[in-house]
Amino acid sequence: MRQDDYAKYAVFADSLEKSFGKKEDKVVAVKGVSLRVEKGELYGIIGPDGAGKTTLFRILATLMLPDSGTAYVDGFDISGDYRLIRDRLGYMPGKFSLYPDLTVKENLEFFASVFGTTIKENYHLIKDIYERLEPFEKRKASKLSGGMKQKLALCCALIHFPDILFLDEPTTGVDPSSRREFWDMLSSIRKYGISVVVSTAYMDEASRCDRISMMSQGRFIGTGTPAEIIDSFDRRLIAVSSDEMFRLLRDLRDISDVDYCYTFGDVHHVVLREDSLASPDNLSAVLVDKFKHENVAAAYCKPTMEDCFMLYESKLV
Amino acid sequence: MNSAIIYLLVKEWKQFWASSFLPKLVILLPVLVMLLMPWVSNMEIRNMRIAIVDNDCSSLSEKLMQNVEASEYFIISGVHRTYDAALASLEDNDADAVMVIPQGMEDDLMKGGQVSVHVAANAVNSLKSGLGSGYLTNIITSFGQELQSSSGQDASIPVEIDLQYRYNPYLDNVKFMVPGLMIIIVILVCGFLPTMNIVGEKEKGTIEQINVTPVKKREFIFSKLIFYGFMGVFVFSLSFLLGKLVYGIAPYGGFGEIFVGATLLIIFMSGLGLAVSNFSDSMQQAVFVMLFFMMLFMLMSGIFTPIGSMEKWAQALTYAMPSRYFVDIMRCVCLKGSTFNDLWFNFMMLAIFAVFINAVAIATYKKQS
Repeated sequence: MRQDDYAKYAVFADSLEKSFGKKEDKVVAVKGVSLRVEKGELYGIIGPDGAGKTTLFRILATLMLPDSGTAYVDGFDISGDYRLIRDRLGYMPGKFSLYPDLTVKENLEFFASVFGTTIKENYHLIKDIYERLEPFEKRKASKLSGGMKQKLALCCALIHFPDILFLDEPTTGVDPSSRREFWDMLSSIRKYGISVVVSTAYMDEASRCDRISMMSQGRFIGTGTPAEIIDSFDRRLIAVSSDEMFRLLRDLRDISDVDYCYTFGDVHHVVLREDSLASPDNLSAVLVDKFKHENVAAAYCKPTMEDCFMLYESKLV
Repeated sequence: MNSAIIYLLVKEWKQFWASSFLPKLVILLPVLVMLLMPWVSNMEIRNMRIAIVDNDCSSLSEKLMQNVEASEYFIISGVHRTYDAALASLEDNDADAVMVIPQGMEDDLMKGGQVSVHVAANAVNSLKSGLGSGYLTNIITSFGQELQSSSGQDASIPVEIDLQYRYNPYLDNVKFMVPGLMIIIVILVCGFLPTMNIVGEKEKGTIEQINVTPVKKREFIFSKLIFYGFMGVFVFSLSFLLGKLVYGIAPYGGFGEIFVGATLLIIFMSGLGLAVSNFSDSMQQAVFVMLFFMMLFMLMSGIFTPIGSMEKWAQALTYAMPSRYFVDIMRCVCLKGSTFNDLWFNFMMLAIFAVFINAVAIATYKKQS
């Protein structure tokens, strides 16, 4: 039965928990995750490897039951009405899992037929993507390149015109230009009203989503639109560099105003304590006078998604 | 039939032909097993090498040696002067058995006395030594009888034994082995292929993709069962045809009994493969577990060794081997022409096993963990 209260959300999940293993070496993969995805939204779940993203996706895709908590996909309960969810769900696992010994076309035909539809019926949905695959129609899926495999997998997940699409790390191991192309495709899918939930470990991809949740150690540590998340960065963030970058990182950690710091590209990002009013000039003065660094450069910088992630993660502890 | 099953079957069919290995296996395995195995699994002993110690050196001992050599079972590897010399040739593996003709054999026999001939056989290969010394005893005994009757003495043998082998009059080993080999082919093909297929889907992750579709687990399992069931029937028919063409083994009884029995065994083996793969995460694991079962089914079903000569507890255990029932069916129908009426118990047991294991396979296949 469709639960009307939840039917207005593409995904409604409340305090989901899932752990693996027995007592001593028990690993909690998902710790009390709650999630609301609006209809037609492109929702991103951002987090490093091992954050629990795949477990969460497997629960939402009805492949795994949570230990506790409830979740509704399109208004259907994931434990009781999983049959109904499977009719309207497209799922693309992180690992390529189409039939490697069947051709591109055979794979697509097969997945269309198990959903009781045909390629023709929903061809308009996949046209843009499939056109690029068409020259390789007769090639076995195992012989495709990484980017092509992802495109085929996306086609197979879309061919039955699902209401909601779960994509588990679709861009992992794909080259930067193919990644951009892939996100363009996801944006174009939304015009058909398909809600998309996508996970990624690449922070820079977060800006392509309508809303995101940052996930770390099985928990959601921050949720909002990409702009909201960036705006919520409430500390002084200073980029520092000197001639001795390695020693600099150690010395920065000895300064009492510094909460924590980390390497970011060719500079170090320094996050100051909440109560600190130190400026970049104060910081460089200390580094030159006390620690004898040369060619010290320090300046405020704009927080990126990664800085936000680090901040939220530090608040978690 | 349900349309999802048809799509799944079409997919299996495409995958089967896309594989570079499966179509060859399904043809080559029956052909090779049927053409080679009956000849290498022959139990008859021929060309046994025998070293003779002739302490008598008489015309009678000469005659005995000629009798031994005349039989097709023995080759005289050498005549030695002493027992030790003969034993040495046995140790050097130049001979398989030693026969000692005692001194004064001719004299003693002519006087109507008793003579004992000593036979020693190398029992490293117990089958060979057992059968070989048996043959040798027969030759010596008949030599003695021949002697008694020719010397005009009363051939006082009160009972003459005249053996007649029913159903396989010439004790032709090929006739005995071929039905067993057909069963081995079915066990191999239907035991391994479905298991490897399902575990393969697990390893590739495709099962995950199937699991999020509306395909029901019943449909998924049935599609595998039907596909590999037909594969098994094909392989069985091919080996049957080879048995007829190459060895002229036409069943004495009906085809109906054989094919119903084969189908039941095929369904059982495929079901077992599916059940095992449900519990296995990797190919190695599944293949080793299947290998364990297949060894049991082959060794404890009476294909190679008669069930009657097993230990009592092992005999009881054979009732848990579905292959045992089919081995019985094959041999009885092929050689004796038995019918459903004679073998109803075997068919019933096979059917029970087949239904049970497939119920287990469906129940343990999880779409959700």
